[in-house]
Amino acid sequence: MTDNLSHAPAPAVTAASSGRAQNVKIRARGVNVFYGAKQALFDVDMDIPDRTVTAFIGPSGCGKSTFLRCMNRMNDTIVGARVEGAITMDGEDLYAKGLDPVLLRARVGMVFQKPNPFPKSIYENVAYGPRIHGLARTKAEMDHVVETALKKAGLWDEVADRLSHPGTGLSGGQQQRLVIARAIAVRPEVILMDEPCSALDPIATARIEELIDELRRDYCIVIVTHSMAQAARVSQKTAFFHMGRVVEVGDTETIFTNPRDTRTSDYITGRFG
Amino acid sequence: MTDARQAPSSRALIERSLKRRNAAERRFRLYGVLAICVALGFLALLLGRIIQQGHSAFVAHEMSVSVPLDPSRIDRSYPAGANYDLMAAEQVGALLGISPTDEAALTEVREILSPDVGLQLGEQVRDDPALIGQTITIHAPLGDDADQYLKGEINRETLEAQRVLTDRQLDWIDRLEARGVISSALNTGLFTRGDSTQAELAGLLGAIVGSALMLLVTAAVALPIGLLAAVWLEEFAPKGRLTDFIEVNINNLAAVPSIVYGLLGLAVFINTLGLPRASPLVGGLVLALMALPTVIIATRSSLRAVPPSIREAALALGASKTQAVFGHVVPLAMPGVMTGAIIALAHALGETAPLLMIGMISFVPGVAEGFTSAASTLPTQIFIWENAAERAFHERTAAAIIVLLAFMILMNAAAIFLRRRFERRW
Ligand SMILES: Nc1ncnc2c1ncn2[C@@H]1O[C@H](COP(=O)(O)OP(=O)(O)O)[C@@H](O)[C@H]1O
Ligand SMILES: [Mg+2]
Repeated sequence: MTDNLSHAPAPAVTAASSGRAQNVKIRARGVNVFYGAKQALFDVDMDIPDRTVTAFIGPSGCGKSTFLRCMNRMNDTIVGARVEGAITMDGEDLYAKGLDPVLLRARVGMVFQKPNPFPKSIYENVAYGPRIHGLARTKAEMDHVVETALKKAGLWDEVADRLSHPGTGLSGGQQQRLVIARAIAVRPEVILMDEPCSALDPIATARIEELIDELRRDYCIVIVTHSMAQAARVSQKTAFFHMGRVVEVGDTETIFTNPRDTRTSDYITGRFG
Repeated sequence: MTDARQAPSSRALIERSLKRRNAAERRFRLYGVLAICVALGFLALLLGRIIQQGHSAFVAHEMSVSVPLDPSRIDRSYPAGANYDLMAAEQVGALLGISPTDEAALTEVREILSPDVGLQLGEQVRDDPALIGQTITIHAPLGDDADQYLKGEINRETLEAQRVLTDRQLDWIDRLEARGVISSALNTGLFTRGDSTQAELAGLLGAIVGSALMLLVTAAVALPIGLLAAVWLEEFAPKGRLTDFIEVNINNLAAVPSIVYGLLGLAVFINTLGLPRASPLVGGLVLALMALPTVIIATRSSLRAVPPSIREAALALGASKTQAVFGHVVPLAMPGVMTGAIIALAHALGETAPLLMIGMISFVPGVAEGFTSAASTLPTQIFIWENAAERAFHERTAAAIIVLLAFMILMNAAAIFLRRRFERRW
């Protein structure tokens, strides 16, 4: 675990992995999402590769969060939200009748824009997921799970001596890493992040970006960001959303250097958004 | 240049309007302060009057009498039949130089003693017949009229015929006090005795126990039902016509006059279900019905105050809806729920009208033994005492109000403490 942490972020990997053939983790076909009568997503098709960071960019209100929330069925919790189309993870239909969203959410973790630790101790924050899913049987096992998750989230060194302190007492950046640790502790396959750095200062942001780059060895990561620079730094794939449609998906390098659609290039060069 | 020319004039305009605005602000502050002063004034008047009337009930005069238990006057096979009151009166009479044969005088002496003297003597003899033949000393409250006289409530200047005590009774009381037979002490009987027809023996214990038992029933019924109803409505119920309808009606119920709940309790709990009249069980159930809307409304608003990000966090980790609600949302809402519940209970504690409807208007001596025996409660005790003729009961009425207010202030303080202690900033 520790050797993972000592790694500096390796920008070179971005280019290297973009050429690699990746197996598709999540596949979306013809996804339409409605909030009541209002349609928020139109015919979205997308393949999200495993062990890669995929960034969603686009002007606000274009449906990035909506699509992200389709992948762990958090839209189910919104009254009046309706999802049409097919979304599969490893070939398994996420909206199949028999599929329990609770199980799905254990496999697909989520990090929100505003850090939302429970107003409990740091330890309890991380232990909550494993506890409800029965992932640790003894106290020693749980201690190990908590320590591993905190180490993976790069927070262990900062909080090891105050695990019983409230999670809400940490700084914003630490809280966001705590929330990531909390998601990791459930051993998910996918981690969804909705603008995870928009409430953080540049230093904390850099720390999270470093972390995302480390996590991509083990997880399929999807990140919504309003910062083009961030998308360019952390992702290997980028999808550009505009008015509820996916305008362009591709390798991050290609999207940023040689976009096909004029709307993409307009957005990237800052002409709107 | 144009700007420079216009600047002073707009500044002057603003200054002029500023003067007006400042004056308006001062005026409104003054109104506010005045309103507060009027409100506090009324409160002070109310409290002052009650304390002024009731404080004297917390001390009482008592008398010690030594009574020789003459074996010839007590039938060993039936010791309760002896006239202990007369035996005590003779002893007091002896102190005052009254002959044991002067029956008229002795009757008047008995009037300044409390029947408690005779009761205590009878009890001691019953418990220990070996006492017969010995002399025992009894401490007992003074009769209520004598107590009122010593507290300055009965005036010697009033015509004798218009007073409850005769001139010579007043003299005797003065002499007994001068001899140290009568002394003034903290009126512990007020808290250790139940209600009695004798004012000097009437205490609040029965009412306090009755109120406590009743509030227990109220809390045990209203809190879990209110909490669950609110959680369901707020977190689980599909939003729609039905929940809107329920919501409107809960708000309506909160506004229903309390006497209506009393009528309902009388019809349903007593007449239909056959539960015992005037019992803490029925009283508690009626008050629970009354408290429910308040508990539900308070719970819902504190559930709403829990940020949605906490629900999302739990759900996104794979918690089921129930786990998210009961593991995170409800615990965070709990301080608010408890605050609302305590305020609802404090309100229930003072509620009178519905209790009168279910029969708590009748005289209940002693202390309720359980949830189903007849009981009096603090507010109904106040109501009953207020209607009594004796002057001493008026003093006790005010004292009972002070006790009731003290309990309410305690409960409200607990609510404020909870709110302060567990207040959260997100
Ligand atoms: N809970 C909701 N109820 C109704 N409309 C919503 C809700 N959430 C999002 N929307 C609408 O769906 C559209 C897409 O929103 P969102 O996915 O949040 O955009 P983004 O994350 O790209 O800024 C917006 O027009 C927004 O107003
Ligand atoms: Mg968004």
